[in-house]
Amino acid sequence: MEANFNSPQRQSSIGILILFIDSLQKFARAFLPLLFLFLFKATAQNRIYVFLAVIVLILIIGVIAYLRFLNFTFYIDDDHDEFIVNEGIINKTKTTIQLNKIQQVNIHQNLIQRLIGIYALSVDTAGTDKKEGNIKAISHLMALTLKAKLLENENKIVHTVSESNETKVNSELNQSPFLKINLSSLFKIGITSNYVRSIGLILTFFFTIIDNLRNIGKDDVIDEDKIGKIIDSYPVIYAVLFFILVMFTIVFLINIGRTVVKYFDYTITKQKGSLLLSYGLINTDITILKPEKVQIVTITRNYFQKKLNVLEIKIKQAISDEKKQRKSSIEIPGCNTSERDQILELIFNQLPEKGTMMLPNFRKLVFSIFLTIVLPLSGFFIFGNYVNAEVFKFTHLAIAIAIFLLLIHFFGFKNYRIFINDNHIIKQSGAWDIQNDIIEIKKIQAITTSQLFWHKNLNIGSLTLHTAGGSISFYLGKYDKIKEYVNLWLYEIETSDSNWM
Amino acid sequence: MEDFINEIIDTKQLPKYEEVQLTSLHPKYWYVTLINFVIVFVIIGIALGLFWFNTEEVANYGSYFAIAYGIVLLFSLFLTRIAYKKKAFAFRNHDVIYRKGIIATNTMVIPYNRVQHVALHEGFIARIFGLAKVEIFTAGGNASDLEIPGIAKEEAENIKQLLMGKIQKQL
Repeated sequence: MEANFNSPQRQSSIGILILFIDSLQKFARAFLPLLFLFLFKATAQNRIYVFLAVIVLILIIGVIAYLRFLNFTFYIDDDHDEFIVNEGIINKTKTTIQLNKIQQVNIHQNLIQRLIGIYALSVDTAGTDKKEGNIKAISHLMALTLKAKLLENENKIVHTVSESNETKVNSELNQSPFLKINLSSLFKIGITSNYVRSIGLILTFFFTIIDNLRNIGKDDVIDEDKIGKIIDSYPVIYAVLFFILVMFTIVFLINIGRTVVKYFDYTITKQKGSLLLSYGLINTDITILKPEKVQIVTITRNYFQKKLNVLEIKIKQAISDEKKQRKSSIEIPGCNTSERDQILELIFNQLPEKGTMMLPNFRKLVFSIFLTIVLPLSGFFIFGNYVNAEVFKFTHLAIAIAIFLLLIHFFGFKNYRIFINDNHIIKQSGAWDIQNDIIEIKKIQAITTSQLFWHKNLNIGSLTLHTAGGSISFYLGKYDKIKEYVNLWLYEIETSDSNWM
Repeated sequence: MEDFINEIIDTKQLPKYEEVQLTSLHPKYWYVTLINFVIVFVIIGIALGLFWFNTEEVANYGSYFAIAYGIVLLFSLFLTRIAYKKKAFAFRNHDVIYRKGIIATNTMVIPYNRVQHVALHEGFIARIFGLAKVEIFTAGGNASDLEIPGIAKEEAENIKQLLMGKIQKQL
């Protein structure tokens, strides 16, 4: 297939099916309850009419899908360096995206698309307008060619059409992967991360079910007496242990399952200085990552992961919309230290070294303890003493939580520090999952320093570095040192016209 | 490449942002804040009054209401005054500095070569006093955008022109 994107292109013809399913889904979501209502209320005779109506509707949706297909075109306008998407049957929409505004081009494949063998392509822009070019059905070859076209134009290289797209795409596909994350690494990550989130999920799930069962009024479904008896017949300690064991097994299984499904066959390929990431068991995602667009790199690792030599990398790019921000951060799970170094070297052109270290003042620990332990605990005891002594039943629980928080604050404080060298700033934080945020000094957009009025004579202050991918803060460090660094960074930013994205 | 020199930067010799003499906001801006303040408290006062008038349970506590309202009002007025006093700005050759904050003093610095665009905003009350607000946007999103209120309209226009010129030069 000779792909020429300069004239309006339609999607793959099989894409009608995708559009059909897409329309059907949208329609079903809106009308399914109504339909059920009809079906249940209707007599046998009327039912035939309902079925007929449904068939007619499906036909209409089919026609709509076909018309949507006919009216959907996309092309690259070389004269104006724009990517243009036309869509709409009656209301026509023309989306124009300037090529140099394109941040990222994503290729995605969900289950249905995988069955048919086509891909979806979407274009992310950094501007404040949230318009995106979304192409729902496109062949793999077309997708890669278009992506290459879109991203290559961005660099404003005047391109003489010397090499055919075919060979370029093929070479792209044949390039040996630079990094492949194997199943055992994914297992390791699955076992060792996201405990809190999974436990939360399970608890919500558990309570919703119980709540729903109660609401239905079928109390005998969960016979509390029976459960009570079962629990009574064993010593309490066994019951608790059993519960914890079951809980952890479920958490592990869910974590492993989720990690493997999401990140199965994680492959990173290097191409022309960019990284091509592809992953997923059911849905396949292909993302291209341009190193110069990277704003913050976060490396997370906890104690177990350190022992198993795995870690997670999260990469944040420049995107103005904060909702999109969370979605668009790219995760690389389960690489080891040498792979991490390779990736970092690719992104930053050099390995960010941990430079001069700055530690927070001990008041940071005192303050967080005061705010999250002393205040609530005194509130608890005052409430118990003067309002309602009932709450003293939970004293041991309150103290357990306080000790837990104390440990978290202590380790959090112990790990809290910032490293500064000539090109990079690395902030380390976290109590259990130790997190390292790396930013490049030239990517800084603005700097805020902050000082509480009672810290003026103590020489303590805070620092926030804003980048296009989010901010990094360091609280309660030596203020004169911070100010010195801020002056140096400002000097560096203002004297160079380095590109920040 | 031949004239490339890479000398050590003496960090002690660099211009210090913390020692820059900042300009406080226009004195008239205090009236703008005051009028806004009065409007807010009149609305709250009317709401409270209606509540007191229509609810029998609290009918006897009218004086307490008035005292609490007065204390809150005075305290807020005090904080508003401090906030106004604290706000100050400076435009240097290469960056803009803005200071604000009541409990914590926040000083934000945005280099001109990171500014995406500049806007001028005139509030309804501010316009009566001939004041405008300069808004400076960067790519860093809400957290790193800057709003400097209480600048005389003409001066604000000049600042905008200056910043636009600086941005243009970079491009």
